[in-house]
Amino acid sequence: MQSGPSTPDNPPRPAPTHALDGRPVTPRPSIDVARSPANTEEALVVKSRAEGLSFYYGAVRALKDLNIEIREKRVTALIGPSGCGKTTFLRCFNRMHDLTPGTRYQGRIILFPDSIDLVDKAVDPIEVRMRIGMVFQKPNPFPKSIFENVAYGLRVRGLRSKARLEEEVERALRRAAIWEEVKDRLDNSGLSLSGGQQQRLCIARALATNPEILLFDEPTSALDPIATARIEELIAELRDQVTVIIVTHNMQQAARVSDYTAFMYLGELIEFDNTSKLFTNPSQKATEDYITGRYG
Amino acid sequence: MSEASEGHIFKATDGALSDLRLRAHAMGLLVAEQVETAVRALLESDLEAAQGVLVRERQVNAYQTEIEAESFRLLAQRAPVASDLRMVLAVSRAVTDLERAGDESKKIAQFALASAGHMTGGPSRVMHRSLRHMAELASEAMRVAVDALDRGDERVAHDVARLDRELDQEFESALRQLMTVAMERTRLLRPIFDTVFALKSLERIGDHAKNVAEHVVFLVSGADVRHAGRDLPARGSQH
Repeated sequence: MQSGPSTPDNPPRPAPTHALDGRPVTPRPSIDVARSPANTEEALVVKSRAEGLSFYYGAVRALKDLNIEIREKRVTALIGPSGCGKTTFLRCFNRMHDLTPGTRYQGRIILFPDSIDLVDKAVDPIEVRMRIGMVFQKPNPFPKSIFENVAYGLRVRGLRSKARLEEEVERALRRAAIWEEVKDRLDNSGLSLSGGQQQRLCIARALATNPEILLFDEPTSALDPIATARIEELIAELRDQVTVIIVTHNMQQAARVSDYTAFMYLGELIEFDNTSKLFTNPSQKATEDYITGRYG
Repeated sequence: MSEASEGHIFKATDGALSDLRLRAHAMGLLVAEQVETAVRALLESDLEAAQGVLVRERQVNAYQTEIEAESFRLLAQRAPVASDLRMVLAVSRAVTDLERAGDESKKIAQFALASAGHMTGGPSRVMHRSLRHMAELASEAMRVAVDALDRGDERVAHDVARLDRELDQEFESALRQLMTVAMERTRLLRPIFDTVFALKSLERIGDHAKNVAEHVVFLVSGADVRHAGRDLPARGSQH
């Protein structure tokens, strides 16, 4: 993890008023978070905003006019029953649906600070995926060495220098809290690791390209409680460095790791609020029924 | 806030939550009865009634232990959220207040026993009216609060605050009267002191009833109104 003195490889965390690449974020709208005492110490900025986002699988409208603001360097959880569209929504952020024929986006997902529309066909999905990483439900390391798993994205980006690659791979593995466990066996297959380690390797792989947003699609559903706790701890640590959106079926996980929670149902956004508010006193009956297990 | 639908998909959760609520209600009714019996024992020098209060006090304590253990288990095993979580917290907070109101009834009963045994001469006759009036207010406040908790009725909770206010005023005026009596009839000092303690117990019971009502507001709306001033704020103003 990034801790201790800063070095060229381990720069001090930029102030929240700047993006990861150091660009000022002044043009971005700020959000009134006065309701949450925990969030009053700083003005939060919007990292991304879905505007009237609908999504179609053929004729089926899976997302219905979503409007939601994702706060920078905060964890946003998407919850809701199976089929509510939370994973579909998550996948829009890095254009995963482009690979499925017959799908169609409507509306926009604006990425700040450069205000590009992530679902605009004119925007290169490869570039989108460099800036918005994803970690899946099942750990899916490449059948390559641990080192190559992490180096892959960097090579795609055109990084050739062996020394630079080694530096960046170590940095990503450290950020994913797995360096100490794998530093002596970087040439071993990624598949030789335990499930929890494989998932952290996948997180390191996603972190290697310095994404601005990291998407987690039920990242711990295949893991035991200890491996789950490690991933949750990792998400808590990453919170300072990258914007996180996580889909989870585990209510307690959403309550533990996220700052904001969005409850979705039948492709619609029902409620979006501070996680503490949503889990103690939700405004919508549907949210209340779902999180308390009364869903009919 | 939103009202939750009736039943949980996992039926055992319904059972555990309603059991908690039923037990809290039973405890509340018992405490309200303890208040009434203790005061009757005092006013009518009814030894048997006073003894009964002391015996049932053990039952009040047992309720507290049981309900808190059950709340603890519920939190650990069912991880309730939203209205369910507020229910568990409100009930465990209410139980603490109910138990303390039970303690105050015990003090009144002990005083009744002591005065019946001619140890103190009983409460001054002139104070009977104040005692009776305060006892009525205190037990009504407790009954209304317990009922509000059972029904999750925030509106009724506001009535408790009014009753508590009346109790406080009655206590102040009783103290003034007692002061006058004490100055005129110094040989009655002991019974006057005892009466003051009994009145103070009733005044405290009113406070506990008001606390229970505040827990009801938290249960229903999620608002913490415990330190919001003398009166419970109007519905919805604490969000």
